[in-house]
Amino acid sequence: MGSNSFLAIGTAGLVAAAAATTVIVTQTPSATTATAPATTAVVTDGDAARLAKQATFGPTPAVIARIKALGIDGWLDEQFAARTSSFEDLAGLAVRNSYCSIEEKANPYCTRIRRDSVLPAMRFYSNALNNDDQLRQRVALALFNIMPVSALKVSDTAALARYQQIMLDNAFGNFGDLLKSVITSGAMGSYLDHANSTAAARNENFGRELVQLFSIGTNKMNADGWLRRDKSTGAFEANYTPKDVSEISRALTGWTYTRFPNTRPTDTGVSDLSRPMVMNAVAFDAGSKTFLGSTIPAGGTPETNVDAVVKRLVGDFSMSPRITLLLIRALVKSNPSPDYINRASRAFRNNGKGVAGDLRALVRAILTDPEARTPDLTAKGGKLKDPILLSLALARAVNMKSDGYAFTVRDVQMGQQFLRAPSIFNDYPDDYPVAGSTKYVSGPSKLMTVPLIMERHNFVWQWAMNGDVARAEYQTPNWVPNRSPTVQDWAQWEAFGDDVSGMVDRIDLLLLNKSMTETQRAALTKAMTLVTDPSPALRARRRAQTGLFIVASSPQFQIDR
Amino acid sequence: MNISRRNFTKLLAGAGTFAAMSQMGRMSAQAATISSFRATVGIFLYGGNDSWNMIVPTDGRYAGYANARGPGLAIPQASLVPLAGSSFGLHPAMAALKPVWEKGGMSAVLNTGTLYVPLNKTLYTAQPDLRPVNLLSHSDEQAHWQGLRARDTAVDGFLGRLNDRMAQDSFAPVMSFAGSDLILLGKQRQALVLPVAGGLTRNGANTGSPQNAPGAREAAMSVFANASDQGMIFQQTSTAVKQAYALADPLNDALLKAPGGTDAYFIDPSTNLPLSSGIAKQLMRVARMVASRSTLGHGRQAFFASQGGYDTHSAQASGNATTGSHAALLKDLALALAGFYNAMASMGLQESVTAFTMSDFGRTLRSNGSVGTDHGWGGNHIVVGGGLKPFTVHGRYPDTTLGGADDSDGQGRFIPTISQEEYIGSIMRWHGVPASDMSYIMPNWETWSSNGRGPVPFFA
Repeated sequence: MGSNSFLAIGTAGLVAAAAATTVIVTQTPSATTATAPATTAVVTDGDAARLAKQATFGPTPAVIARIKALGIDGWLDEQFAARTSSFEDLAGLAVRNSYCSIEEKANPYCTRIRRDSVLPAMRFYSNALNNDDQLRQRVALALFNIMPVSALKVSDTAALARYQQIMLDNAFGNFGDLLKSVITSGAMGSYLDHANSTAAARNENFGRELVQLFSIGTNKMNADGWLRRDKSTGAFEANYTPKDVSEISRALTGWTYTRFPNTRPTDTGVSDLSRPMVMNAVAFDAGSKTFLGSTIPAGGTPETNVDAVVKRLVGDFSMSPRITLLLIRALVKSNPSPDYINRASRAFRNNGKGVAGDLRALVRAILTDPEARTPDLTAKGGKLKDPILLSLALARAVNMKSDGYAFTVRDVQMGQQFLRAPSIFNDYPDDYPVAGSTKYVSGPSKLMTVPLIMERHNFVWQWAMNGDVARAEYQTPNWVPNRSPTVQDWAQWEAFGDDVSGMVDRIDLLLLNKSMTETQRAALTKAMTLVTDPSPALRARRRAQTGLFIVASSPQFQIDR
Repeated sequence: MNISRRNFTKLLAGAGTFAAMSQMGRMSAQAATISSFRATVGIFLYGGNDSWNMIVPTDGRYAGYANARGPGLAIPQASLVPLAGSSFGLHPAMAALKPVWEKGGMSAVLNTGTLYVPLNKTLYTAQPDLRPVNLLSHSDEQAHWQGLRARDTAVDGFLGRLNDRMAQDSFAPVMSFAGSDLILLGKQRQALVLPVAGGLTRNGANTGSPQNAPGAREAAMSVFANASDQGMIFQQTSTAVKQAYALADPLNDALLKAPGGTDAYFIDPSTNLPLSSGIAKQLMRVARMVASRSTLGHGRQAFFASQGGYDTHSAQASGNATTGSHAALLKDLALALAGFYNAMASMGLQESVTAFTMSDFGRTLRSNGSVGTDHGWGGNHIVVGGGLKPFTVHGRYPDTTLGGADDSDGQGRFIPTISQEEYIGSIMRWHGVPASDMSYIMPNWETWSSNGRGPVPFFA
């Protein structure tokens, strides 16, 4: 990474001290855009809104104005430098297991504060709604979705918060550094069981998902995303064998949780999962390991073994296209062309300075590519918003202010509860087939069942059409520290008065990046104009709510193109 | 059909058709040849059930099991629930199924898993290209079970393909109370996913004072939903949304008007308290839909249900080998299945309904040292229904020697002796799938119905 400030804040001292996987020369970010086309042309409103759909949690007038003022590269530079979101204070809530039954026994909400997902989930939503480091957060979410932890197993506020901080800190850093922080994080050590995995009886859970989900993937992938097939059998070529998984799992033995200070060796329930794990040399399998064609000689340490595993994975040919494909699917579109994957993955394989795994270079390549900057009007175009992105995009369009609590009530109803995924496979696979199609995928479509479509529809109705009534979820419970109610800003819409055309323009810009057709505009205008109320302010508000509801419930808003 | 068809909203008009509606009244060969009602219920145990602890030998083979497993995980022989007439016992947490077994309403099948062709250890070792691809991977093995294509990518699943070939009424006869997954995707149709609690209401569908102009609002929504040339994901989303809008009211009627008398059978006999687990709630709703079969116009039904949490890499047992997280899952499963069997029996339908388990894979027989087990391959499964041949455990229990004749790698990852298609195929045949449709629903069926291979003989 260009600046080591990210590392120093968010990751373990031991990782920061470990030998760097890569040598990185600090230069201006624009030096990494050799493969990207020039994007200095005038940015239209629609172009800016499209970029905001891909690189933020939803267009707002302020974001659109900023993109237009700085140009796309300039705005990306500003975003790469921005970091306002933090989970550090929540990561400081770590306590011993017995804390809520002893020290804070009298507080009935101790467990919800100390051992639950609700506070970090609220923080995620309030950051996404309000903070300016939008691209960092958006990339952090995409990375988190590749390697999630879930409070269904890790019910520890501080550990979950620290894990989010790791994602934010490394969002524009090197992928290898991210993997090292994840490998040594207490939350992941608990979630996938490699904490206390020993030479005598290793646990393979983490080793397997590290290769399958977090890095190279099950099958060999070409630079353009094409899955290679064995010429004689026609089957996909596996990236690794069960033996590789076993050997990698051996290399990742010898880690255990940091313990709270002033504890005796016999004390139990004193692991601090908010801290990086520490080496436990007696449990480490110090023998030589051979995996994926590389060998770690006998006699290393847990640290040097982590470095060697990460170096091998980041250097793997499949790693770059696979992570590229996953980030394109998270930010831009579900079915990118092979050329697009190829262009972006080359920037990830080599950022122009011989460094592999540069996330900043990858994100820039993804967002400045012509395939991202031009609407794809072919059959393969589009990306369905998942419930988290749907709720945030709608909330940002209506200028909602919230401490995030309201979102934590609604996301679960739509089938995607932040920080509470059912398994390491998360809420949906990135390659879920489009029903009835043999070649297109759309991960979030797995959640488009009849009951969940109703939940989405009713959510939009309740936050747009009825967004100004006193909703229960708008009132954050008293036990939440530093709470603030969720409120919507209808004054901006009331200011339009009887100017329905102006409202439609605003909705077209914020929700549809100016893709509304004349037929749609006519139908929308009619539906809004027919709404009446004796009060001019209320009439304007009801018309805006009607327009927002119609458009936000439409597939055209729910699918970004 | 008696379902209210009101409010198949204007959204549908001019929107073309969607599969379930366009296929209304279609009769297939299978419906014509079998007249009595039948239903199958596939239950997917996500994560890979440690089924070596679900079905355990009670004879001389117990020692080999216990030795390979280790003391922290081996179920003590004395605590097994004996399956009378067989040499096997159930995990003690599954005692609720003992009466079902004794009524002849349950079978088990041993060492069943994903196979592309029949394998033994010699062939397994010599020809890696005959193995299912990406063994031990959750996502790949789930896809192999659901899609039944062990060496290729599946974009549809066997219940979806079954739905393609079943007679259709206003509602698809293949229904899920476990959300969507590959298993439900057909080539032509999608199964119906239903809520596990409550009904379906679309805000704003029928309400609104004239000053809110609901008619113009719905008309504008229709214009947006029917945009053309927006791409494949748009088309599929738009179709799904329009279908959901059209079905919300009639489905709500079907769900809420379905007789609920069968709910009373879902109780824990040891406490007499109603069951509240996710799998119990799903099977409760399945029972209601079976009870509503005439109203729904269904001569055949297939259901999908699921239970998650089986990826027990650590602390699957705690306290002793018979308690802990895995025991809790099996207890919920057994109570729900026993309640479901009794609910079917209360309608005299126990012989007409068959429920069966599936799972990513079995787990390693050898403990991993975290009081857990890692990903395996073959495993044991249970089938519940009154039409089964009673008191029968099918298949061959593997040689439990680690690294022995049946173990693929020394950890107790057993090469299956029965393929997932011989297992599921038997139930599909019972369901009424004609021989001519088997290869459509089970693409590899030719392999599993020739050269001495064939469906597991579950049914009397």
